[in-house]
Amino acid sequence: MTLRAIVSSVLCVLSVAAHADGKVVVYNWAEYIPEGVLEQFTEKTGIKVEYSTYDNNETMYAKLKLQNGKGYDIVVPSTYLVSRMRKEGLIQPIDHARLTNYKHLDPDLLDKPYDPGNQYSIPYLWGSTAIGVNSDDIDPASITGWADLWDEQWRGKLLLIDDMREVFHMAYKINGVSTNTTDPAQIEQAYEKLKTLMPNVLVFNADAPREPFLAGDVSLGMLWSGEASMAQEENAAIEYVYPSEGAGFWIDNFVIPAGAENVENAHKFLDFMLRPEVAKQAVEEIGYATPNLTARDLLDEETRNNPIIFPSADVVKAGEFQEDIGEEANALMNDYWEKLKSGQ
Amino acid sequence: MRFRQLVITVTLAWLALFVLAPHILVLLTSLLSPDTQQLASYPFTMQSYTRLWEPVYASAFWQSFWLSLLTTVICLLIGYPFAWTLARLPKLPRALLLFLMMVPFWTNSLIRTYAIKLILGAKGLINSTLLSLGLIDTPLQLLYTPFAVIFGLVYILLPFMVLPLVTTFSKLDNRLLEAARDLGATPWQRFVQVILPLSMPGVIAGSLIVFLPAMGMFYVSDLLGGAKNLLLGNIIKNQFLVVRDWPFGAALSITLIVLMGLLLWFYVQANRRINRQGGLDDNAL
Repeated sequence: MTLRAIVSSVLCVLSVAAHADGKVVVYNWAEYIPEGVLEQFTEKTGIKVEYSTYDNNETMYAKLKLQNGKGYDIVVPSTYLVSRMRKEGLIQPIDHARLTNYKHLDPDLLDKPYDPGNQYSIPYLWGSTAIGVNSDDIDPASITGWADLWDEQWRGKLLLIDDMREVFHMAYKINGVSTNTTDPAQIEQAYEKLKTLMPNVLVFNADAPREPFLAGDVSLGMLWSGEASMAQEENAAIEYVYPSEGAGFWIDNFVIPAGAENVENAHKFLDFMLRPEVAKQAVEEIGYATPNLTARDLLDEETRNNPIIFPSADVVKAGEFQEDIGEEANALMNDYWEKLKSGQ
Repeated sequence: MRFRQLVITVTLAWLALFVLAPHILVLLTSLLSPDTQQLASYPFTMQSYTRLWEPVYASAFWQSFWLSLLTTVICLLIGYPFAWTLARLPKLPRALLLFLMMVPFWTNSLIRTYAIKLILGAKGLINSTLLSLGLIDTPLQLLYTPFAVIFGLVYILLPFMVLPLVTTFSKLDNRLLEAARDLGATPWQRFVQVILPLSMPGVIAGSLIVFLPAMGMFYVSDLLGGAKNLLLGNIIKNQFLVVRDWPFGAALSITLIVLMGLLLWFYVQANRRINRQGGLDDNAL
């Protein structure tokens, strides 16, 4: 406790120096905003944007936790982290009255258990985790489910997303349990299953998993929907297969940290990002699905009907959305995760 | 005299604030209990240190140790003859070559590591050359292997091996070599009995400043080794950023520091022995 107080007070002193009016500090996933949007926002509102990025939820959470929810005005956690941050008082309620564009959002993606009534979070983009296949090297029809990645012929060939929850999801689905399980026995079973997958793994990647596919270093592995659709623009041979056992789904949400210094500007930024034309641009450039219904109608037919971006209702039903699993299960999974990454 | 006092005070204050204080914080953190809510909490415990003996970390430690050792040996094998040749050159070409060796340092090592990725990839420089020469039919798996990590580490750390060796060699007294020749020593005898013992301080200094950073360079194994836990640095980074077990991350850091201390102690001892045997002293480095 004292240690954290010392560290955070040092950081406070540092951040006071940076305090100024007319800005908003945004901390977002890498490659997760359409080009030019920040400039447009500054042009329209006169508010400067200080922008930085992270490549996994845990890094962002650790920083925010360390700084007691100060230092940033907008961050973009995935669903399971929203509920944790809400419980820990790390984020503050969002004033819906100040968001004129809230009405565009799809009611199907609102009011979920991780944040009832969306008091603390506004969905930004959602997507899936499934299997990427380079059809130049591998027949996509031969890959139908997560279990196919365990085949011995892929020894030292696979790409896995460098994210604990995503990797465990595969084993949970093969074992037929929920991706949000907290049962130690089920977690251990999943670890035992994943242990046998490790010899097949060539690389873990979470900042741009499409890159090794495009560079020709891997032809098979886990992939995010947005990465898959971006990859297809460069190389049409890269296909996206929804596994029969069920893909992983998540929603990334805008939240305002409890210690945000520019709350007013954060709301303006949120409202700007909810504009249908901005949301449309996000789908087109980043390749993930938008919860913005008006924006969906603005998209051209090809994008709107792209199964990578907007999966069918059946695919969504077969998959599962991630939720918070609590500290205990998390710590247990972390231990196994370290072992897996060390090849044990 | 007052200037001297000022310089000493400023240096000491700097070291106390930015070296001593953070290390004490790391040491204290390593003795606290893990707490994902508060990052670390009371009571004081040795729990993090006992965890070091868990097989997963012990084996990761050995793996890291061997990778770093191999890197050091390769740097030495390449750096030793190179430094010898360099030290024998006339002043101007030597200065030029040393300068050329330093030029890559003007570019951030992270960016150079990304460049190595492009060179080693399946469609990279090496594979496309070998393919077009018809030497191989399918691309070699170079990237995301321990080989790639060692390649990257050797590339980044080689100058740190060469520099102390060049200094040692250029201070080497030529008359000793002439005397050895006059007394009938073969080239091999001259190398083993004169040059090698005299260059030991350079060898040890170079090996230390290659070996220790190699254990911690997590970004090299993240980028070139496929983000598997290959180096101690990867595990430390994960403990702080992903797992949020700060005490354990701190305990790992402390272990690395202690190891560094032991190696430095070994260096001092070795130097003393060399001195007793009539070799170079530390001032000649």
